[in-house]
Amino acid sequence: METYHPQTLTVSTEAKEIIKTPILPKVSVGNLQNQDHLSDLPIKMAAIDLSVYYGSFKALNNISISIPKNKITALIGPSGCGKSTLLRSFNRMNDLIAGFRVEGQVVINGKNIYDQDVDVVDIRQRIGMVFQRPNPFPMSVYDNVAYGPRLYGVRKKATLDEIVEHSLRQASVWDDVKDKLHQSGLELSGGQQQRLCIARSLAVEPRVILMDEPASALDPISTLKIEDLMETLKEDYTIVIVTHNMQQAARVSDFTAFLMIDEDRSGTLVEMDSTDQIFTNPQNERTEEYVTGRFG
Amino acid sequence: MPRQTLDREIHHLQDEVLLLGSMVEQAMLNAIDALKRRDIAEAHRVYNEDELINEKRYAIENRVLIVFATQQPIAHDLRLLAAILEVITELERMGDYAKGIAKIVRFIHEDVFPFPAHEISRMGDLAVSMLHRSLSAFINEDVNMAYRIPQEDDMVDELYNQIYRKNVAAMIANPEIIDHSNYIMWIVHNIERMADRVTNICERTIFITTGELLEIDASDDEWADEDDE
Repeated sequence: METYHPQTLTVSTEAKEIIKTPILPKVSVGNLQNQDHLSDLPIKMAAIDLSVYYGSFKALNNISISIPKNKITALIGPSGCGKSTLLRSFNRMNDLIAGFRVEGQVVINGKNIYDQDVDVVDIRQRIGMVFQRPNPFPMSVYDNVAYGPRLYGVRKKATLDEIVEHSLRQASVWDDVKDKLHQSGLELSGGQQQRLCIARSLAVEPRVILMDEPASALDPISTLKIEDLMETLKEDYTIVIVTHNMQQAARVSDFTAFLMIDEDRSGTLVEMDSTDQIFTNPQNERTEEYVTGRFG
Repeated sequence: MPRQTLDREIHHLQDEVLLLGSMVEQAMLNAIDALKRRDIAEAHRVYNEDELINEKRYAIENRVLIVFATQQPIAHDLRLLAAILEVITELERMGDYAKGIAKIVRFIHEDVFPFPAHEISRMGDLAVSMLHRSLSAFINEDVNMAYRIPQEDDMVDELYNQIYRKNVAAMIANPEIIDHSNYIMWIVHNIERMADRVTNICERTIFITTGELLEIDASDDEWADEDDE
């Protein structure tokens, strides 16, 4: 078993095998459309035998999950099941928590991000994150978006202008803010702030976007706008979203992973499948109980 | 405009309903054509291709269920999707009528007895035209058209009666053709039932727009309904 700061710098043969063979089952119901090719999907990222500890508490228990490229994968489950911990493990946001320790691997582009030679800043540039509450920096809309590129050394104003506009357009917020680029980001509405934060994460050209309940603090219309935005973004990005809102997971995601707490109080992956399947005919009884609201 | 995914799903399903409708229209026209030309190969094809109609119906039904489960349709969207479930059932049954005609052609294609081919053709064309326009009304949510189309059922019934009288006269004149004429009446009955079911599609169109579940009072005879349920 790998431990945090492992000495090995390469991915194990076993891990490579798992990545090649994603854990998406071949769907047996013949007339469910769009599912025949599931097992052939390219995988962007994977957790392999991942266990996460906070001190002596084991928050995640031996999770293996593949995240398909250019798709939206939703992590659902009752409170405390470890879905946010799993999400944050994908870009090492847990590193800052005292007592955090990881076993197993998180692999992106064939590389374990918990390897010793991996630059955490580089990981977070490639794997961006959007949080539950919109958290624009207390600076102008423009500077919010330009912050990341400047950090990575972009200095030319014309280039920054281009990145800012492109990112804001991609985040479907350009029309709302194009006339107030130099006003504070905090003056925007909640929904606009959240899309600004998405633009900010896009500005550094990530490959993966992690979203931790990105719409839970928003009104219903802003929520639906964020959901539509996700649908557009997946053409260019791989998205993983944690949501307490099961209906939202059903609406936006292509795949759904259901986690719950096992008898040792650790988060464990119960089932992952296409969202269509999870919400019409889940294979695991516990998933069925959860999605039908009879448990959790 | 939010809810792009749901809108896209609905448009896709509407396209699929139209496609299923055109498969059924073609099956009925081909079945009648096979009858007129006593073409056993064509009849065989119609008979076998009913399977494709059934598959399409189940694929649409499955997709609607997935949309129910994942997109939480409400109000107009909910009525539309529920109506699609009803309409595809009607279409599949109409496909069965075409298959039924094809099956009868297999029994009688070697017979040389005359039959009212012209009237049967007209009846089939009329029923298919009613179906075609009812699906347009369904997709366009054209309530006026949905109320008008079932009135044309009177013409279908009139043709049915004409064919019935001709058949009875022919059987009296020549008892040898009783079996054959009975088969012809089954064919005509199938076409007549198809036109009746168009009314159900029109009722669903009204339901989508008004939310009202009502029965359009066409000249449908209730005996035939009971007979078929």
